[in-house]
Amino acid sequence: MKADAFDGRRMPERPRHGLAGYRSRRLWDAATGVGVYLRTMVVFLLVWQAAALWIGNPILLPTPVDVAESFVELAGTGEMITNIVVSVTRLVASFLLAAVIAVPLGFAMGLNRTVFEMIDPTVELLRPISGIAWIPLGLFILGIGDALPTAIMFYGAFFPLLINTITAVRSVDRSYLNAARTLGVGRATVLLQVIIPAALPGILVGARLAAGAGWMSMVAAELIGAPSGLGFAVEWYRELLMTPKVLAFVVLIGLMGYLFDRVLRAVQRSLTRWAEPRNA
Amino acid sequence: METLNDAAPKLRLRGVRKEFVLPRTGERTVALEEIDLDVKRGEFLCIVGPSGCGKTTILNMIAGLTAPTGGSLEIDGKPIDGPGAERGVVFQDYALFPWKTVWENIEFGPRYRKGSALAKSQRDERVRHFIDLVALNGAENKYPYELSGGMRQRCAFARALANDPDVLLMDEPFAALDAQTRVILQEELLRIWGETGARDERRTVVFITHGIDEAVFLANRIVVMGSHPGRIREIKTVDLPRPRKPEMRASAAFQELVEHIWQLIRDEAYAATVKA
Repeated sequence: MKADAFDGRRMPERPRHGLAGYRSRRLWDAATGVGVYLRTMVVFLLVWQAAALWIGNPILLPTPVDVAESFVELAGTGEMITNIVVSVTRLVASFLLAAVIAVPLGFAMGLNRTVFEMIDPTVELLRPISGIAWIPLGLFILGIGDALPTAIMFYGAFFPLLINTITAVRSVDRSYLNAARTLGVGRATVLLQVIIPAALPGILVGARLAAGAGWMSMVAAELIGAPSGLGFAVEWYRELLMTPKVLAFVVLIGLMGYLFDRVLRAVQRSLTRWAEPRNA
Repeated sequence: METLNDAAPKLRLRGVRKEFVLPRTGERTVALEEIDLDVKRGEFLCIVGPSGCGKTTILNMIAGLTAPTGGSLEIDGKPIDGPGAERGVVFQDYALFPWKTVWENIEFGPRYRKGSALAKSQRDERVRHFIDLVALNGAENKYPYELSGGMRQRCAFARALANDPDVLLMDEPFAALDAQTRVILQEELLRIWGETGARDERRTVVFITHGIDEAVFLANRIVVMGSHPGRIREIKTVDLPRPRKPEMRASAAFQELVEHIWQLIRDEAYAATVKA
């Protein structure tokens, strides 16, 4: 933890001196961020290297250097890009499908007690079941191909979006609703101009959790049920006992998940510029 | 003292009761009992009373946000059965929409209200007028979190006014502000209300406050309430000339009135404070 995080006198940083100052401040923040990140990574890599040397068997645990070499090699052949495209396409498709269904359903459940009581028991029954548990059944129904991983990822992304949307809609501050009503507007305006924007931050949190959950289910689904994708590549090189390449893909899965979250955070920020900046 | 038109009250409350049922025990509490009150057209009416006397409940019932348990509330002789654009509210916590800028907040009523929304050019003129009136020039494109407490208050006030209500309901609008800002905004409020202008052009205001001196400075009449159950103890007419001047606060008449109202509510105020 950074020492200055405990310094209560530190003021929230906000752009005050025009665009140029803002840019340099952001650059500085980004550079500091990378520095902290590298510092953390160095410790991790040293431990890894030590463990690999101690085990002394590159099939069980290759050194980070071996993995880095495999990584570069795979990046060069285009094999990496092909698998990334396949997996990311599945993630985007399943995420969009989940959003299109879960967000409107969450609004209906959050706004209407009867709808909630009709659907909630089913949701609570299905929610604790991991997407992985459906893979065997999915293999029967969907077979091996694009459909199975997409369906499993959809399942993983669906519940975080749904639950967060319901909660966000329900916790819209009553005072905003009262303010709108005393200004004489109708129900449609209350929904469009008050409930949706007020619920948006909560829904976007759900979207980030959903993308993470979908990405995690992807690996499991592709390990078993797909002839392509990052999860499939991990399994492929495991069977060939090429551990450095297995780990190279594992690292890639982590990096891609992280990048996704950065993208969604940027979307979140740009959609909720009105929200009070927290001291992050 | 200006005479107020007694013929047709703007708001008429008759035998208004409000009971709350505690969800767990089913026990009924009487929050307000038998409120009879006429608010005259163009009047500035203040309601003061100890915490928990049901001031805000009265205001919410007039706004149409809460239904009474018994009795009737009327505006211009018609029963109140829900919120409406003719009754504007300035809430204690302002309730500005955080996702809208100052301009968009003030524009909200004229733009979206049912049946009588304004065209863009008319709307822009209107919003501009009220931004000038409450001196928020330069802050049009700011979001509420970027404003000071006083600016938020003025924005909430402008939002209510821009919707052109007949009646303005204000729930302790200055409670969260520091003492200097409060005094300045009290004078601003009277100016905007139209104290110096013709009486017919003034809106009807119902203003809830904890501050007795604030009530005396602003009001034509002051409703003094008691609690347990909430009820009207006395309605005092304020005989100070308009426009009200800051130096009036030091006058004997002003101080006497403050003292009189304080004597009416002090026992209950102490009881509420010590018990809590």
